[in-house]
Amino acid sequence: MPFKLKAYGERSWLVDGLEHAARFALEAALLKSPPDFFEEHVLGHSNVLLVFTRPLAKSALLAWLSSIDLEPSVALKASPRHKVPVIYDGPDLEEVAGKTGLSVDEMIAIHAGADYTVRMIGFTPGFPYLDGLDPRLELDRRDLPRTRIEPGTVAIGGPHAGIYSVASPGGWHLLGRTNFELFRPERAKGDDVEPAEAFGLQPGDRVRFVPQG
Amino acid sequence: MTECIEILSPGVGCSIQDAGRPGWRRFGVPPGGAMDRFSMRSANRLLGNRPDAPVLELLMQGQKLRLLEDTWVALAGGDLGASLKPWSAECLPAGKELHCLNRYEGLWSYLAVPGGFEVPRWFGSASTDARNGLGQVLRNGDCLRSVGSSRDLYPGVQRRLSVAEDRRSFSAELEFELLPGPQFDSFAASARAVLVELTWTISSRSDRTGYRLKGPALEVPASIPSEPVLPGSFQITGSGQPIITMTDGPTVGGYAKLAVLKEADLDRLAQCAPGTQLRFRWA
Repeated sequence: MPFKLKAYGERSWLVDGLEHAARFALEAALLKSPPDFFEEHVLGHSNVLLVFTRPLAKSALLAWLSSIDLEPSVALKASPRHKVPVIYDGPDLEEVAGKTGLSVDEMIAIHAGADYTVRMIGFTPGFPYLDGLDPRLELDRRDLPRTRIEPGTVAIGGPHAGIYSVASPGGWHLLGRTNFELFRPERAKGDDVEPAEAFGLQPGDRVRFVPQG
Repeated sequence: MTECIEILSPGVGCSIQDAGRPGWRRFGVPPGGAMDRFSMRSANRLLGNRPDAPVLELLMQGQKLRLLEDTWVALAGGDLGASLKPWSAECLPAGKELHCLNRYEGLWSYLAVPGGFEVPRWFGSASTDARNGLGQVLRNGDCLRSVGSSRDLYPGVQRRLSVAEDRRSFSAELEFELLPGPQFDSFAASARAVLVELTWTISSRSDRTGYRLKGPALEVPASIPSEPVLPGSFQITGSGQPIITMTDGPTVGGYAKLAVLKEADLDRLAQCAPGTQLRFRWA
C-alpha cells in the first residue's frame, strides 16, 4: 500500500495518500498496537494524522508502518446501519435546485436515495463527513459562510453530505433538519467516556436519510 | 474543600481551564485547555499544585471576584490590572475583592488556588468549551471550591514570587517561528515570502477557536479534501487572509495550511491582543 509521510508541526506526522479502507486498517493498528509515544490520531479524507507526545524520527515511524498490514482486507468489519429521519425544509433547497438544474422534489429523492458511509468525524464533535453523495448534488461551498447553523441541520458541501452536530458557523448548503443525535455532551462527563454513548455516528458507519412527511 | 471564590462578574471572559482533553480529536472534539499553558503552569507552581490543575482563565478585563475565605491565590500571565500582580501569590483575606480593571499587558490571566478548583470533568478535562457544551459555564454568583486548603499552606509567608524562568513579558519579542505547513509546496513562492516579509495585525475577529490576521491577501491554492488541523496552523481562507487555529478550533478543515507555529510560540501568540502587530520567520 503506497503512502507518503508529511511532517506536520514538531511532533505529528500525516500519513498521506491513503485509500478509504487503508485509513481504517491504519486506525485499527494504532488502536491495537501503537508505536511508542503515540498520543492520538485523526482521520482525514485521504490521510491519517498521528500525534505523538514528543518528536518521533521519520525512520522510527517508517519502521513501525512496515510492521503493520495496511491492506484494506484486514479492515473490513460489520458496520452499524443508521436511519436518519429528515424534514426537508432547509433554506437552500431552492438555490441548490437552481444550481443543479433539478426540481426540489428530485433533489430530495436523490439525497434520500443514496447509501452513505461515514468517511470521518471532525470539524465539531460528532460531525460526520458522509461519502456517497450523488455527483449531481456536488456544489462548491457557499461564498459567504453562515455565522450560526443549528445542530441537526442536514447539509451538503463539495463531495460530502453531512449533519451539523453543534451550533457552529458553516459554509455548506442546508437542505433540512433531523432529531438524530450526533453528540451528547451530557454523556461525556467523567474520565472514562464510552465513544458510542457520546457520539451518534462513528467512522465506517452506514447512513440512509429518510424523508418525514 | 471549601468554597473560596465567588464570581461577581465574569467580565469579557472567565472560564475554568486545564491542559485540555487530548485523545478525542478523532471524534471532532478539540484539544481545548488553557490558551497560554505556560502561564497556567506558572500559576499552579506558585502554590505547589500539579502544573495542569484546573485554574480560572480571565480574558482582557471586567472580571470581579470575591474571596469567601482566607485563601492563597496565585496569578500569572497577562496583567489585567488586578491588585494582585501577575507572577505572584498571596493569602488574601475573606471579603477581599479582585477587580480586573484595565488591561496593561497580555490578554489572558490565570488564577490558581491550592490544589486547583474542584470542578467536574468532561472527557477527562475540566476545561470549558462552551461552543461544544463541555465544562462548566461560569455566571454571576457562582461559588468555586478549591481542592486543597489554604490553612497552614505557607505559615508566616506574606507573598510568593515566580522564579525568572516561570515568568514572561508580553510586550516585547513579537516575532514568531514558523515551520512549513502540510500544503507549503502548493503555495506560490510570493505567498511564502510575503508571510515572513511583512508585518501582520491580529484581527478583532479572533477567539479561542482561531486568531485572524489582517494584512495583504495571499495567493491561495485550491482548497483540499478535508484533513486534520493542528493548533498553530496558518489556514489560508478563500479571501487570502490567514487564520491561526487555536486550541478550541475545528479538528479538520479544507483550507490549505501554509505554515504552523513552533509549539513553544503558541502560548506567546495567544497573549497577543487584537491590534497587536506581529512578524514571522521560517525556523
